[in-house]
Amino acid sequence: MSDSAPLLSVKNLATTFETARGEVPAVGGVTFDLLADETVGIVGESGSGKTVLARSIMGLQPRTNVRVEGSVQLGGTEIVGASEVELRKLWAVDVAMIFQDPMTSLNPLIRIGKQIDETLRLRLGLNKADAKKRAIELLDLVGIPSPNERYMAYPAQLSGGMRQRVVIAIALACSPKLLLADEPTTGLDVTIQAQILNLLDQLKSDLHMSMVLVTHDLGVVATRTDRIIVMYAGRIVETGTTKEVFAQHRMPYTEALLASTPKVSDASHTRLNAIPGRPPDLLQLSKGCSFAPRCQYATERCHNERPELESSGSPSHLFACWNPLPLPTNRTASPAGSEA
Amino acid sequence: MPDRTKLIEIQDLHVNFKKGGHTVSAVAGITFDVYEGETLGLVGESGCGKSTTGRALMRIVEPTSGSIMLSGESLSTMKGRALRKARTKMQMIFQDPISSLNPRRRVRDIVAEPIDCWQSSKGDERTKIVDDLLHKVGIDPQVYGNRFARQFSGGQCQRISIARSLAMRPKMLICDEMVSALDVSIQAQILNLLEDLKTEYGLTLLFIAHDLAVVKNISDRVAVMYLGKLCEIGPADLLYAEPAHPYTKFLLGAALAADPNAARPDDILGGEPPSPLNPPSGCRFRTRCPHATEKCANEEPQMQTFSPGHAVACHYPLVIHSKSA
Repeated sequence: MSDSAPLLSVKNLATTFETARGEVPAVGGVTFDLLADETVGIVGESGSGKTVLARSIMGLQPRTNVRVEGSVQLGGTEIVGASEVELRKLWAVDVAMIFQDPMTSLNPLIRIGKQIDETLRLRLGLNKADAKKRAIELLDLVGIPSPNERYMAYPAQLSGGMRQRVVIAIALACSPKLLLADEPTTGLDVTIQAQILNLLDQLKSDLHMSMVLVTHDLGVVATRTDRIIVMYAGRIVETGTTKEVFAQHRMPYTEALLASTPKVSDASHTRLNAIPGRPPDLLQLSKGCSFAPRCQYATERCHNERPELESSGSPSHLFACWNPLPLPTNRTASPAGSEA
Repeated sequence: MPDRTKLIEIQDLHVNFKKGGHTVSAVAGITFDVYEGETLGLVGESGCGKSTTGRALMRIVEPTSGSIMLSGESLSTMKGRALRKARTKMQMIFQDPISSLNPRRRVRDIVAEPIDCWQSSKGDERTKIVDDLLHKVGIDPQVYGNRFARQFSGGQCQRISIARSLAMRPKMLICDEMVSALDVSIQAQILNLLEDLKTEYGLTLLFIAHDLAVVKNISDRVAVMYLGKLCEIGPADLLYAEPAHPYTKFLLGAALAADPNAARPDDILGGEPPSPLNPPSGCRFRTRCPHATEKCANEEPQMQTFSPGHAVACHYPLVIHSKSA
């Protein structure tokens, strides 16, 4: 797309879980690039494979009963198939991850200061005093009041929002080039969510990081991402710039997802356009489009043949659909074709 | 508006929890009514006492003081059988659909449980009522009636919970974060279902949730709580368009619209709610409020009515409605 080499290049990434009931293709062949300083949002419902995708990019999948295929290149290093020793060299310095649950991603028995120090001493080789100094700077950076005292606090002494700030401080300790944020604000109150998202935004531009923001909440990605990837049943069904996905989406699933989200701007008792049915069982995926059973535009072909991602004209905008929605200029016109 | 019948009247409700020598006032004196046939949304951040209010209404937690009236009967002083009977008129639906159903019981038996408890019907009649309810919530009783609860997804479990709650033909449903654990596409289905059932069964809803867009979608009126107190109550559209309490305004400002052209909230609320163990004097929001003055620290603002149905507890409300309009 552009001359500069992408920071992250994911090609045909497929993660399959081998379970007693059969093979579950949690991520079924995902390809995308991420440029430096770019933020991409990955949205989808539960089971769409967005978290597994993020964990596969990080190289966090367990070695047994999981098959990761394809390629993930991060700054020229291959992550798929890399040994743990190799991965450890990348973690924290090149790529760091923030997990959903701030309650469980910290060790409850270790003071938060020590948990930040650990990364600094291990990865940057700082001595005890320097690590402490830097850790307190980091706590200050992520907006924790009186960082000197908080350095000695245990996770249980902090609120959920504060704990998520600590998790962010740990992730940022070695100024990674890429930050993977998996539902960073789910479970937090709206006012705290706004604080954390603004913090991530500001840190991202200050530290020149790229970010992958994984979320189920379209509101979170709407104003904070450059591009959006919409996932359904382990595959990318649509991707484009944030404006393209919101305003010019071609894939019926994207439309249905937007239409079923209640909006603060709508009058009360506005009828929601719910999507009938529920996401497919990954063990029994059809050979056609996974969304076809719930899609109001589905035809014979949709059930039998899987659509591949194709361009909609704009080089950044791809979608996988046999019967794409018309572009919005035609969308306002009535189906009968009474164009002005 | 004044001639509407009040189904629930809550007067100065307090709920205190004692823990390790400390007293937490989870609900610190709230007063509001729920009218018959309406949906009242109750919003606020975690720890504001919205769930405790719902639970106190059901007497799952005991109110410390204050009164709760259900159709003119004092619910807060009822005991034993009378209380059990009163609870058939109010049913609660909880947040986690999976854990609110017994995984080892069959769907039909789960839905029939209230009927069996009260022996209100038996045999074919009981089966008919149960099948009818399952049908209403979109679960085919012929196919799924004999399956176990553990075989269902979250959205389906929530449908079964709704069917069970309707078994005794209650007047009111208390929904505590009932759609927060569901995906948006399923959430929309459940919200639509709730609207349909409300009309069909003539239900009154108390809808407790933290998601402002969801609450606006389903509610006729909305009440906002902060740290155990009621900040503002009013008609949903009016309250969202012209919030009078600074906290309501911040809360709405922090809600994210799924629209890339939406303005980023420029002034977001800083800090975190203070501990309910040691709430601030006067107005409880004053420690985070940009408009707070000496008066807010010394004097607790009382609920005052602005325009019909719109009341706010603030010394310096944001909008002054013109009386003539």
